[in-house]
Amino acid sequence: MRHAVILPIAAALLLAACDRAPTVVFADAAITLPDDPADLPDLPGRDAVIANCTACHSPSTMLQQPRIPREKWQSQVTKMIETYKAPVDEQAIPAIVDYLVAVQTAQAETDGGIAPSP
Amino acid sequence: MIDPDGDKRKLTRRAVMVGAGGAALAGPVLAQGLIPSGMIDLGLPGGPSLRPLTPLFPGKGEMIVQRIRPPVLETPMTVFDQGTITPNDRFFVRWNWEMPTSVNAAAHRVAVGGAVKAPASLTLDEIASAGEHVEVVAINQCAGNGRGLSQPRVTGGQWGNGAMGCARWTGVRLKDVLAKAGVVSGATRVRFAGLDVPLTDGAPQFIKSIPIDIAMRDDVLVAWGMNGEPLPLLHGYPLRIVVPGWFSTYWVKMLATIEVLTGEDDSHYVAKTYRVPTQPVSPGDKDFATVPITAMPPRSFITSHADGDTAALGQPLTLRGIAMGGDAALSKVDLVGSGLELPCELGPDEGPFAFRRWTVTIPDVSADLTGIGVRAANVNGAVQPGTLGWNPSGYARNVIERITLRAQ
Ligand code: HEC
Repeated sequence: MRHAVILPIAAALLLAACDRAPTVVFADAAITLPDDPADLPDLPGRDAVIANCTACHSPSTMLQQPRIPREKWQSQVTKMIETYKAPVDEQAIPAIVDYLVAVQTAQAETDGGIAPSP
Repeated sequence: MIDPDGDKRKLTRRAVMVGAGGAALAGPVLAQGLIPSGMIDLGLPGGPSLRPLTPLFPGKGEMIVQRIRPPVLETPMTVFDQGTITPNDRFFVRWNWEMPTSVNAAAHRVAVGGAVKAPASLTLDEIASAGEHVEVVAINQCAGNGRGLSQPRVTGGQWGNGAMGCARWTGVRLKDVLAKAGVVSGATRVRFAGLDVPLTDGAPQFIKSIPIDIAMRDDVLVAWGMNGEPLPLLHGYPLRIVVPGWFSTYWVKMLATIEVLTGEDDSHYVAKTYRVPTQPVSPGDKDFATVPITAMPPRSFITSHADGDTAALGQPLTLRGIAMGGDAALSKVDLVGSGLELPCELGPDEGPFAFRRWTVTIPDVSADLTGIGVRAANVNGAVQPGTLGWNPSGYARNVIERITLRAQ
């Protein structure tokens, strides 16, 4: 079954070329990705989150999570430090956790979604 | 394993650079500055459910922005109504760690090492001439596709159902590339690494391995072509692994290293994450056995109508969509729910690992169609379940997806 879908496509080309020279051309490639504004809701602890939590990923990684309790946020921060070796300032952790809890409380009040600006 | 840019890209807290200015809480927190062309509601239970749409990623049409950096882009479901091949510019994008944004083709090498007779460092031309060129039409689906729809919800990337796509992949067989180095007897697995590396020392690189018997399959490729074009950088230029029937996590992008193993793979993304329970579990369960997520189960979607659309009362109604068998060919698709059980007609067969069109006509819409959905089955006897096989990482969702149509 599986084998039926594989189509040898280069046989004819190879014959024409009389050797196994590649018929594929690899060029240099480069792209420019959009800037990440790293925007975060303006609540206490925002600076701590920006400083510690936005180097590896956009804030959306945090802002799109379903509502989770404080302990779960605490363990997410621990996972970032232990698994991903995030250089997090120990003293900032309470402020980071407070912030993430506060953002989710506010999100729950805006219909569970982040509303577009008018 | 591979660190092309050396320490330049390594991260310290002081190196963090971010935009200034606080976003208002109700503002488009994710994509301000990206100029969203609109917002889409993914219907994630309990939210947050709204995501920006943008055509501004290089080579992409309008995509759902899950994350700008590293890029995570979802395909709007409407794209799947347009055909069974997903165009490159609408194909979902997913990177775990920051992605390189340029590739020097002449300098690129693929190291083939580990348990091999003669380790090799292959140029792109050497890869392309390693064997017969083959094409396979196959679905590439993120292991976490649909995670955001899990109930109860789980943490991780909050996808709707658009982290999937089907393309025609062109390349050489992995086994022909392995033959350049010669696999020793006793090989157990083949592991892949790309050019994407962690930003911090000691963090796990995104490397993945497949069992040797899978690696030796005739349709497992080192691919450079996607729908007749060179792989776009966002999809892993210059080369990516293609494992038809298996979740995308194994389809390593920007391939730089192939390593033959003789034992188990204890690396993070195989031994610690991308794993599913061996038995059904409930929220709160702890210490259950897990195995790596591998082959895909069947799935199907109604694409002609969305939840909440209307249907003409007293008229026939034709529904249309796509289905997949997963790691084996699709055998049938049935419309179920609202007291119905109707076999669907299947469209052209582009191979066991491709999306397949289905259509069905309800002869007479006599009332609202509440909770209708399609149920796909494959030739191995796997059938989509009526209830979610919940797991704490939200992997491998394949519950029947239901919508309600109002008759009027
Ligand atoms: C050293 C890099 C790094 C830093 C710094 C970092 N993270 Fe992460 N984070 C990751 C990686 C890698 C992932 C997984 C990304 C993926 O799957 O695409 C992740 C994922 C997440 C997720 C998604 C849930 C999950 O488990 O995948 C959350 C929430 C999160 N990070 C929160 C934080 C918070 C809060 C901070 C600041 C304390 C932080 N991160 C700092 C690397 C980092």
